[in-house]
Amino acid sequence: MVPEAIDDHDIILATGGYDHTIKLWDTNTGTYHRSYQHAESQVNALEITPDRKLLAAASYQHIYMYDLVANNPNSIINYEGTSKNVTCIGFQEDGRWMYSGGEDGRARIWDIRSKNAQCPKSFDTCQGSGANLSPINCAVLHPNQVELFIGDQGGTIYRWDLRSDNIEQFIPENDVMILSIDISPDSTQMASVNNKGKAYIWSLTANVDSSTSLKPRHKFEAHKRAALKCKYSPDSSMLITTSADQTARIWESDEYTLKQELTRDGQRWVWDGAWCADSSYVFTASSDSFARLWNVKSGHIGREYAGHQKAVTALAFRDVLL
Amino acid sequence: MALYDNKYWLLSHIRNSFISTDDTSMCETVMVGESKQVREHFFNKEPFADPIQSDEDDDDDLGSYEVQLDAEYSMRERTLTAARLEKLENYSRRAAKMKHIKWESRNSRKDDNHEQNSDLFVVKQVKPEDLKSIAKKSALATVIEQSKNMPLNPYTEFARFDGTGQIDIPTRKYKIFLTMLPEDQRNYPINVCCVASAKIQELIGLILLKFSITYSGKYEFRPATDYGLYITEEDGEVDCDFPQLDPKECIAKFGFVYLGLVEHKEPPREIICERLVETSTSPSSSRGKIRTTSSSKAEESKQIKNDLIMDTHHKAMEAPLYKSYKVFLVNKLWLFNIEVHLGISSEKIEIDPIHHKNSKLQLVKQTPVCHSIDSIASCEETETKGSKGAFRVVYSNDFSTSSGDRMFQYSHSSVNLSSTLQSSPSFKHYDFEADKNVAEEIVQKINFILNLRSSYSRKEYLAAKERKQLGKKKSFKYLKS
Repeated sequence: MVPEAIDDHDIILATGGYDHTIKLWDTNTGTYHRSYQHAESQVNALEITPDRKLLAAASYQHIYMYDLVANNPNSIINYEGTSKNVTCIGFQEDGRWMYSGGEDGRARIWDIRSKNAQCPKSFDTCQGSGANLSPINCAVLHPNQVELFIGDQGGTIYRWDLRSDNIEQFIPENDVMILSIDISPDSTQMASVNNKGKAYIWSLTANVDSSTSLKPRHKFEAHKRAALKCKYSPDSSMLITTSADQTARIWESDEYTLKQELTRDGQRWVWDGAWCADSSYVFTASSDSFARLWNVKSGHIGREYAGHQKAVTALAFRDVLL
Repeated sequence: MALYDNKYWLLSHIRNSFISTDDTSMCETVMVGESKQVREHFFNKEPFADPIQSDEDDDDDLGSYEVQLDAEYSMRERTLTAARLEKLENYSRRAAKMKHIKWESRNSRKDDNHEQNSDLFVVKQVKPEDLKSIAKKSALATVIEQSKNMPLNPYTEFARFDGTGQIDIPTRKYKIFLTMLPEDQRNYPINVCCVASAKIQELIGLILLKFSITYSGKYEFRPATDYGLYITEEDGEVDCDFPQLDPKECIAKFGFVYLGLVEHKEPPREIICERLVETSTSPSSSRGKIRTTSSSKAEESKQIKNDLIMDTHHKAMEAPLYKSYKVFLVNKLWLFNIEVHLGISSEKIEIDPIHHKNSKLQLVKQTPVCHSIDSIASCEETETKGSKGAFRVVYSNDFSTSSGDRMFQYSHSSVNLSSTLQSSPSFKHYDFEADKNVAEEIVQKINFILNLRSSYSRKEYLAAKERKQLGKKKSFKYLKS
């Protein structure tokens, strides 16, 4: 069935959640072909390295790397040193370094290329409650690869310039948590969602020194309950928001009108979403232990990925443009 | 020997000769308190008692020789510590293969940092044109669109019962023989690992999922309910002496490792029979299910037929036994139904209202009532609405008063049929509502009982009904002409 031109490795879908396994799926047939053991904790976030050889799973106190090529069910690299949950991870475009954010209030840059594996940089959030730093919920790298945008539980968004270590803070709303941030691939817009279901949009413009300045653009109620994730489509024309109100919604990114609502009875919380490379399909991960593929145009379910025992909270997807 | 009452001799006898056949090891517990006494007794009696030997024997206070030997030669049960140690060892072995990278702050080397920064953090210019030129299709979209008409695997819902890769939950491993495969391919079982909390039906689904993924030949898959799991020998021969494992049972209940998956030509159905005698004497051959194993098909189908006969037989046998159901008494006047317990036995039918403590709708007092089974004339299903089933129990009013039972305290509940059924005891009825399955079961149960004891009121009712029908026909004819 699979045309010859498409290599198995061109399409990678990984899911993880509360059942201590990470599964790799055959996206077409809806069955999983590999299962990794992730014994120690739940999976908070998943990311595939740019070279598609490794899968990183953010979990409690550790980031584990799994081999996507060799058939080894156990993790092969363990990044430790975070004292609490690691909540988000991501990679520099060429896979030179990895960033992570944790509930200990510290964002870290890990050098994954060099042999001595030193960590060149870290950044601490402001103090949250008591003496603790405010936990980081999300972080995203600007497409210019030198600015990291971090959202914390105190409702602050930080722009961290990795070259100069300059910090800029934005507080869109008081007494909320920033649960997710995303920047459109064409780097013209930034979106953030909070636990009240509100979405905030900024316009981004590059300065002369290629740092970014932000200008508030739009604000709307994306969901009635907490919004958990937002992600721009690869062509920057759409934004998907997932929520505790059991739906995921797709918004046009020019006026932020609702384009499609992705919902299904008994779906429960929708935790994560991922776009395919041409923005025609989108994956969601939800608490009913399913991952689903949706057709963006029609809003219908294309495939269902069943196999997890408990809630699926993270997914990572990569494919290619033909 | 039964009369031989020397307890020392008996204990010694148990100790030395009976132990090996006592799988329950109950006699061990019998002997625990006695053994020391016995030993003393015997060694004292022994003419050449060796003091040293007796000392040695005192060390072990076990009941029998048998158990001592066993303990020495069989595997000792692992202690928790041993298991934990092994787990730790496993973990460290795995950890050794893993590369560990610890977070180290590098505040001390600021200058270095700067150099590295410029190396690591390089600005990339985003060119919007690159992104806009997406006329291409993604690999995923291509694949999905190419297989638009691909039938989806119907068994994917069972994937969550797969136990492979699970760590924290108990699983069970099975070797499954697939009897529907062609002769040359079914010699080896497939390995299936299933979570222990699954039901047999779900295990069947999981097996079919694995089978459908790996099997490339021609085979028409059917719904999971069309298959049954049977106990199987290690060589794959299905054991016909046992019925299939109950699909509704949890798999943890069965300890078999080798199982055979068998396709039923026709799914086993719930059989509703009107007359007990009929079904038990002439089982219809069409209902039999046939297994596709090569060996002795006739015998198998015979056995399966027997199963079915036994099924109805069991139901008929159980019918006279008391059973209580929760149903709703339909009440047309008050526009709401009263929840009651309906108790049915071979002697009587009891209607017992359920009192809700917090209910504010205690406007209607319903007292419990009891009818002798001889006063029950008929019971039939009246309608089924979705998952609900309604049924009517007709009883003779004369009987219930004469039997001296408590009466219903309200009078409107029944429509008196006596107007249409003259010259017969006045029949009244109750209308009940319950879940469809429950309603079916109750109707079946009452009819079994009624068939067993043809009472006067039932005959009367049936006769009256017949007369009425005849009358109807006549009047119809009259109208026509």
